[in-house]
This record gives sequence, structure tokens and C-alpha cells, in this order.
Amino acid sequence: MYIGIDAGASATKAVIVNEKGEIASFAMVPSGIDFKVSSETALRKSLRMCNLDLKDMTYTVSTGYGRELVNAKSTSSEIVCISRGVFRLFPSVRTIVDVGGQDSKAIRIAENGRVSDFVMNDKCAAGTGRFLEAMSRILGKPIDELGKLHFKSSTPVKISSTCTVFAESEVISQISQGARIEDVIAGLHEAIAERICSMSSRIGLEKDVAFTGGVAKNKGFVDSLSKKIKVTPILPEEPQMICAYGAALAAIKRHQESIDHSSL
Amino acid sequence: MTVQKERSRVLQTTKKINELIIEHFSKAWDVKSQGKPISWVTVFTPVELLYAMGVYPISPEHFGAMCSARGVALDYFEHAEKSGYSQSLCSYSRCCLGYVTSGMSGLMPPPDILITFRNSCDVYVKWWQSLHSHLGTQLFVGEAPYVLSEDDMDNYVLDYVVKQLEQLVKMVEQKFSLKLDMERLVEIVKLSDKASELWLEILKLRRFRPCPLGGRDSASDIFPLVVMQGTDEAVKFYEELLREVKEKVNSGQGIVENERFRLLFDGIWLWHAFDLIKYFEDKRAVFVHEPYSEAWACRLDASKPMESIARKILTMGLNVDIDLRIESFLKSISEYQIDGAVLFSNRSCKSWSAPQLVTADILREQLGIPSLLFEADMADPRQYAEAQIKSRIDAFLEVLGER
Repeated sequence: MYIGIDAGASATKAVIVNEKGEIASFAMVPSGIDFKVSSETALRKSLRMCNLDLKDMTYTVSTGYGRELVNAKSTSSEIVCISRGVFRLFPSVRTIVDVGGQDSKAIRIAENGRVSDFVMNDKCAAGTGRFLEAMSRILGKPIDELGKLHFKSSTPVKISSTCTVFAESEVISQISQGARIEDVIAGLHEAIAERICSMSSRIGLEKDVAFTGGVAKNKGFVDSLSKKIKVTPILPEEPQMICAYGAALAAIKRHQESIDHSSL
Repeated sequence: MTVQKERSRVLQTTKKINELIIEHFSKAWDVKSQGKPISWVTVFTPVELLYAMGVYPISPEHFGAMCSARGVALDYFEHAEKSGYSQSLCSYSRCCLGYVTSGMSGLMPPPDILITFRNSCDVYVKWWQSLHSHLGTQLFVGEAPYVLSEDDMDNYVLDYVVKQLEQLVKMVEQKFSLKLDMERLVEIVKLSDKASELWLEILKLRRFRPCPLGGRDSASDIFPLVVMQGTDEAVKFYEELLREVKEKVNSGQGIVENERFRLLFDGIWLWHAFDLIKYFEDKRAVFVHEPYSEAWACRLDASKPMESIARKILTMGLNVDIDLRIESFLKSISEYQIDGAVLFSNRSCKSWSAPQLVTADILREQLGIPSLLFEADMADPRQYAEAQIKSRIDAFLEVLGER
């Protein structure tokens, strides 16, 4: 069996697959401040779910911000892992838009599944999960509820600031001026969607387009982004696990390569 | 993976740069104590002319880079910011203004004249005016119109800058009772041209595989072309460097073993984060070309000294049409067999960073060359997110490896 661990800025994910790349189990825990702890917890959780033991595991690949801190045989970048994961599940996809905790990315993949180009957000965290986390805190609404509330909006409020810090005060002033929370939430989703759209347009949004990353679980954001880029996206069932899944697929490949290499 | 014993990734000659820098500043203090004038200059100003008149030039921009590389810039930034200079200003200017407002106890002797040209940077004039208001030192601001094509130069622009140089000479001669020695100027222009010629020859040798001179070298080795143009020391340095680089080429020694990727770096270096270059090199990715390193070489014609100095001021990389910059960028891709471009979007230098997005698009569409764009500041470490940048580098190199 093979493991992929994605030690992301917000959450750490582990996926266990068999040698065919079929998923045996997966788990997710908050990353907190110690990637060693979070990756071990996620791993233990996923092992328990498929009733396996660490000794059954052949090869581990880690990815994400904390990749170097995870106990794994080798590391891979998120860009490559996400692409592998998506391509395995949806071979027709040519563009992936991934919005994670601290990064957003747009990736172009060629017909053979290889990455042909990618762009990532600039230094600023606006347009990432962090932005929405900060906003959900101010609005006093759990992050999971933002998507539901989005659809209750009738006239989304225009949020003009793209800076997380300034947007906070803008949201507060909107609310104090009587704006409905639902409209503010929809406005926030539109603001991020706009930012992601202009970033993604730089590499061209060739169809099919898939959305991945934790923020793709937010149906409200998905709605805003789909409208903005005028595409109906492919949405994996577990968009946040794709990167770890890709890492697990990489683990199979690397194990195979190491066998080939040693038999030379 | 086995860890290879590391070979030094800096050439022997490059290691001598430190000595040159120390000598340059200690000489400045000697000059000052002898009562001779010191000029603070922005880069691409007529230092050859100053040397020929006996005025010693110091570059506060170089000072900023050096402070950043040595980890002492923060103090100066904080001093400047306390005095009311915004954090969004160019970090070189903040470093220099912080040096001034904190009492100028350090490497740079106080200036006797401040000289700048409006040829490459929007901040220069205000920065030099601020220095003037802090220190009361006489200020010379030269104008250099944008040069869109060679035609502009023939018509009126060159003449305009030559006339200003003549004014500058008059001003310096009167103020310090000095006399421009034309014969000496011709000699200095010859030396300045020689140093540039050598540097270009050295850079050309980076076209070889493996690349004999890496990013850490080229970042340091430009120093003699920043404020020492026209000196014997600069020429000697580049002669020695050329010899060493030629030896490396002949013996097939690269800056990294088993060179895997050949990269272009666009922008001023991150002086406070040289380990980034090492980070690339550890992954066998080597910088083989930087428009920034090449920009310092300016060929001069000793038979027309004033005119060639004017030409140098006018044609510095940021004072010409952006299309010309992009054109030479594209040419370098095949010349240096470049696999990918690393574009450093510099918070401090928007004149340099402005065409990067367009450049990245052109590289991808016309040549199929991928780029990595990241944001930080050349001298201010507070604008640097190491983990974020390194995760982008990893992704970029992994993607290059997949091609």
C-alpha cells in the first residue's frame, strides 16, 4: 500500500491507495503549528479506517507547505500532485483551479497528464482560504456555512478591497451600514472569484476545468467562480483530498522506479 | 539519495570582491581626509568624468545592497521609517536615508556633491532632493529623455545630455577649483570600456555547458562596474576573472555538478537571501544569464568621450523602449540554451519589474519557455516569505523536469 500526505497550510491530509491507485482510506486533520504531529495523526487515522498497519505501507510521498517535516521517503510539489490526482480521476481536464489555505493556483495539463504551465497567487493571501477564514470569523459564521448562506443573497455587496486586512474593515462597515450578511458573503465570494479568474486567465482556461482545494467545498464560491469564468467545472467529490491522492499516486510511481533502478 | 561533497559554488576571483569593496570605501575616507571631494551618485551617471576631475564617486544604491547582504540594513530602514519615509519607498533609498538620519557613522563618507540623472528610476530625483534637504549639499539633477530608438539619439537627445555633462563639469570645476583633464578622461574612458568588454566576454562564456560562472558570482562580480568604471583595479579584476572562467570552460567544470536546468534570472538580486541561489543549485539548476548582470556593461568610444558617456546614461536598460528589453530577453533564450525563466517581481523597483508579466506570456507563447514569477524585495527582508517562495521553486523545477 502507498501513502500520500499533503501537509497544507490549513489542513493535513493523508490518502492510502493500493498498487492500482485505488483509494483504501483517507483522513484529514487541522495542521495546527506542528506538521510532524498533524501528519502522524492524519496517517494514523487513515490507517485505522482501512484496518492496516504502518508496516503494510511500501512508500510515502509528502507534499504541501510542511512537506519537508513529514516522515516520508520523498517529496513532491503540490502542483504536480494535484495534476496527477485530477488526471487520474478526470483525464479530460486541461485546466485545474486550486484554492487552498494559503495559495491559489491555476494549472494547465497536457493530454498526457503532464503539467505544461502553472501560475500561483502573488505574496498576498487574498483569494485564498485564509481570506475566507478571516471573514467567517468576523461575520461569526462557521466556514462551512458560507456556501449555504451565499445562495440566500439577493444583491451581493461589492467588496472592493483585495487585501485581507482592509476587507475586514470593509465588511465591518458594510454590516454596520445595514448590509445583509448573506449579501456580504456572496460579495466576498465574488471578490475572490474575480481575483482567481484574472490569475487563471493568464494561462488560459482550456476545457475541461476542474476546481480543487479546500475552498472548492464552498458551493457559494464555486457558483461565483463558475459564473465568472463562464464554465461549468468538474468538481471532485473530495476536492481537498486531491493533492494527497496525487502524492499517493506519486508514491506508487517512485516505488516502481526505485525497483527498476535497483534491478539495473 | 546520496549527498555529494559540496564544491564551492563561488569562483576564486569572486572571493576577492570583498577586498575590492573594502578598499573602495577606505580609499573614499582617505580622499575625504585629504580634503578632496566625494560625490554620491546614482548608477549610470558619469563616474568616468568624476574620476577624471578628481572627484571620488560613491554609490548609495550599492551601499544598500551591501547592507542588505550583510544583514545590517534593517537598522537603517527603521531609522528612515521613524523619520517619516514610507515603507513602500524603494529599499535602497530607505537604507541610504536611514544612514543619513542616523548620523552617517559607517562606510560612506558624507558627500560634497550629489549627482543624479533622471534616466532609469522614478525615485532618484526625490531621493537626491531629500539628501540635499538633510545635508544641504549641492545637488545636480540631469535629465535623460526616454530613448525609443536610435533615431531619437541622432536628433537631439544625445546633444542635450552632452550639454548637461558640460554644465556638470563647469559646476564641479568652479565649486572645487578643479580642472577636467581631457587626456586623463580619454584614458579613463578606455579603461571603463575595457572593463565592460571583459565582462561581456566573461558572460558569453556562460553559454557553455556546464555553465562556468553561477548566480552567486555574477551578483558579486558586477561591483567594479557600478562605481569603479575607469579604474585599473576594475580591469585587473575582470582580466583575472576571465582567466579563471576560461580555465573552467577548458576543464569542463561547471558551477554545479551534473547541471540539470539552465535558468534565466530577471531582476535585481535578493541581496538578503543569497541562499535562494544555493537552493536552486542544490537542485542542479544553475543561473546562466541575467539581463541585470549584463546591463552593467557599457561600451564607450574613447575618441568621443563626452558623447559616449552621454550615450551610456541614455541607453541604460531602463531608459529604453520596453520592446528592446524583451527582444534581447528572447534572444538570450537560445544563446544561453535556457530551460526556464525566474522573474523576481521587486517591490522596490517597479521600473524593472513592469514588463515581467508580458515577458512571461511572450516566452511561453513564442518559445514555450515556462517562467516562475515571485514577489519580494531586493533589500528589505521583511517582504520575503521564504516557505512560500521555496514551494514555488520546487513546483517550477519539478514541472521543468516533467518536460
